[in-house]
Amino acid sequence: MDFEDTPDEAAWRSTVRSFIEEHRDELGQRRDQRSFDDVVSRQRQALLYDGGLVGVTWPVEAGGQGGTPMQQAIIDQEMSRAGVPGLINLIGIGMCGPTVIHHGSDDQKDRYLKRLLRADDIWCQLFSEPASGSDLAALRTKAVQTEDGSWRISGQKVWTTLAHLADYGIVLTRTDPDVAKHRGLTMFVVPMKAEGVTVRPLRQMSGGADFNEVFFDDVVVPDSERLGDVGDGWRVALTTLMSERLTLGGGGTEIGMSASTVAEHVARQIGGLSSDRQALVRQDFGRAYVDTLGIRYTGYRLLSAISKGAFPGPEASAGKLAGTKVARDLADLSVRLLGDDAAYAETADGSSSWQDAQAGLPGMAIAGGTNEVLRNVLGERVLGLPAEPRADKGITFKESIR
Amino acid sequence: MNFDLDDEQRDLASAAGDFLRGAASPADARAMLDSDDPAGAEPQPGRAALVSSGFATITVPEDLGGGGGSLLDLAVVAEQAGRVLAGPSFVGYARAAVLLAGDDDRLRALADGSTSYAVVDGDGPTLDAVGADRFLSLRGDDLVCGPGTVTTRAPMDPTRGLGQVSVSDGDVVATDARLRWDHALRVGRVVLAAEGLGTAARALEIGIEYAKERQAFGRAIGSYQAVKHSLVDVYVQIENLRSLVWWAAWAADQAPDELPLAAAAAKGAVSTTLQAAAETLIQVHGGIGFTWEHDAHLFWRRAKVDRFLLGDDVGAFDEVARLALAAAAAVEAESVGAAR
Ligand SMILES: Cc1cc2nc3c(=O)[nH]c(=O)nc-3n(C[C@H](O)[C@H](O)[C@H](O)COP(=O)(O)OP(=O)(O)OC[C@H]3O[C@@H](n4cnc5c(N)ncnc54)[C@H](O)[C@@H]3O)c2cc1C
Repeated sequence: MDFEDTPDEAAWRSTVRSFIEEHRDELGQRRDQRSFDDVVSRQRQALLYDGGLVGVTWPVEAGGQGGTPMQQAIIDQEMSRAGVPGLINLIGIGMCGPTVIHHGSDDQKDRYLKRLLRADDIWCQLFSEPASGSDLAALRTKAVQTEDGSWRISGQKVWTTLAHLADYGIVLTRTDPDVAKHRGLTMFVVPMKAEGVTVRPLRQMSGGADFNEVFFDDVVVPDSERLGDVGDGWRVALTTLMSERLTLGGGGTEIGMSASTVAEHVARQIGGLSSDRQALVRQDFGRAYVDTLGIRYTGYRLLSAISKGAFPGPEASAGKLAGTKVARDLADLSVRLLGDDAAYAETADGSSSWQDAQAGLPGMAIAGGTNEVLRNVLGERVLGLPAEPRADKGITFKESIR
Repeated sequence: MNFDLDDEQRDLASAAGDFLRGAASPADARAMLDSDDPAGAEPQPGRAALVSSGFATITVPEDLGGGGGSLLDLAVVAEQAGRVLAGPSFVGYARAAVLLAGDDDRLRALADGSTSYAVVDGDGPTLDAVGADRFLSLRGDDLVCGPGTVTTRAPMDPTRGLGQVSVSDGDVVATDARLRWDHALRVGRVVLAAEGLGTAARALEIGIEYAKERQAFGRAIGSYQAVKHSLVDVYVQIENLRSLVWWAAWAADQAPDELPLAAAAAKGAVSTTLQAAAETLIQVHGGIGFTWEHDAHLFWRRAKVDRFLLGDDVGAFDEVARLALAAAAAVEAESVGAAR
């Protein structure tokens, strides 16, 4: 057992570190960023891609470097250490790209993957609908094939992160309502600027507008944009969801709040409190800090297993469950330390970073699978507990929506 | 990075599991509670068997009759002991091995079982005071070893052998021993956390088994989310505890600078995790879980007592906070200095 970098890893770490150092000014600072600025964020990702720091684990044919998850983890660690803002195309890299790699045609791979990594194109994931979020396979957006083989897509998606900036999306549609609901789905790539696609930003409780409603009104998509076989969309979507699992919460990366940033904040503020208050704050902070350590080292165990060839399964979701909980604890604690300012949306001197962090976190317990759904997955797939009885089994989609 | 047990450690864990399952069980813990003198009853496997198995003294050097192993080795064994509520605790052996370093005669006596040591923390309850014949304690800054008188009271968990010890004048084993004492205490916390990890993991397993079998309203109770989700929450805590225990044991062996934080984190985490696991175990069993006959309360007793051993959870979280905040303040001071 050790935490040392292997010689290869150490060499890689120093490459990554010096690249970041060299481009410090162009890369910007995470704390200055409230929402994604389209142009700047694309430029930043392109710079990082050209420096070899985006998509290392992707196959070379896909524009990556065929590298290891450990290399990726090192990049994440170094970017976070240097306070570099996150990549704009995270959904593209974490979810859409892997789906194209596994199920796309050679032509699709050629056209899309490298541009996706450079953020020449931004991607979004068009799965959730007003009537089907957790119960994703209940979706209603229709795709109908016409005589020339192309497809016409109609329906509505919702909560689509970055749809307003995206160039492409992967969209899950229903192509056959007369079979069981998981059977009749098909996945496509759609250009977001195509005729008939309307994107309407939705304002989030945090005040920002990173997600959207997306309407499809007879959007024509050629058959060559299909991902996987007709009727096989559920299996294709599972690739997306598995990759999502690892992107959110695998590897012990911190969600929302960095514990060390919080520690600096607490260290700065605690001296001004009465000794009774200090003891309470230390109690809260100590408990939360232990949780972050547990999550971090569990992530290291997962990474070690992956680097020995294990495939991360549903147990990777544990990191997201625990991570969203502790992120909230840390945010609440941080805001409380602002004293009277805690009751306002920003401090008297106009800073809102802690309040913003607090307001962003409820979404993390919903996006990418709610806490409840993740607990179901862990309970059934990892602990082996019996599945819930379901009312939609053994009937067609059409019957299930009656 | 290779944060995982190696094959030898896995083999060790499995050999220790075989031995301990054959030598102790929750039924033994129950027999102690049911005996006429629960405070004085002998836990299983007992000192003699633990010592002769070699597992208890893994961290004693080989040339003195021990196993010459690492604390991580001992931690994987202690986890197995926790699964069957074995007594006495591996904590005492681990602490004694650190405290007696350099005193070859006493270490030999620890390893061959001819002397049974217990470590006395001031006036509080001493772990495995029952059945010990020599007591290690701190007098001023001197580490002393001598006989003592043990007063026992009705135990919450008899497997812990708790008693109040008044130490008679003993021999000085080492002077200026404060740092060694603190180190031994941290090593003890790691081993206590490893035992608690095993106890919690076993409690979860028993809960899962029952949740698959027990039917209510026409289906297995494990298919109800209230039951399923509470078991999952325990699972998530246990996985994080496992990581903290391994990290802390590794730090004791390889990175002493990290040990204070890691040991306090493991101590705090095991307190909350084991309690959650034990309480969930009872809840999942419904009425039967609240009976004397069911094993659940034996796990619960461990949880309710262990949280107070070697310092309590509140103190552990406070220590974690102090260490992390001091480190953060140092980083800040450095960057302010650099900016000037
Ligand atoms: C910040 C953010 C970003 C998002 N980005 C995207 C995106 O880019 N693309 C995309 O497709 N979607 C996105 N989503 C949507 C997200 O995937 C869904 O919101 C989520 O899956 C939940 O679905 P829902 O909102 O329909 O809630 P519902 O499924 O209606 O759930 C409502 C409540 O019921 C509970 N519930 C539902 N089913 C069960 C069950 N079986 N057992 C127990 N409880 C249950 C849920 O846990 C929840 O508490 C995003 C959401 C957020 C908050």
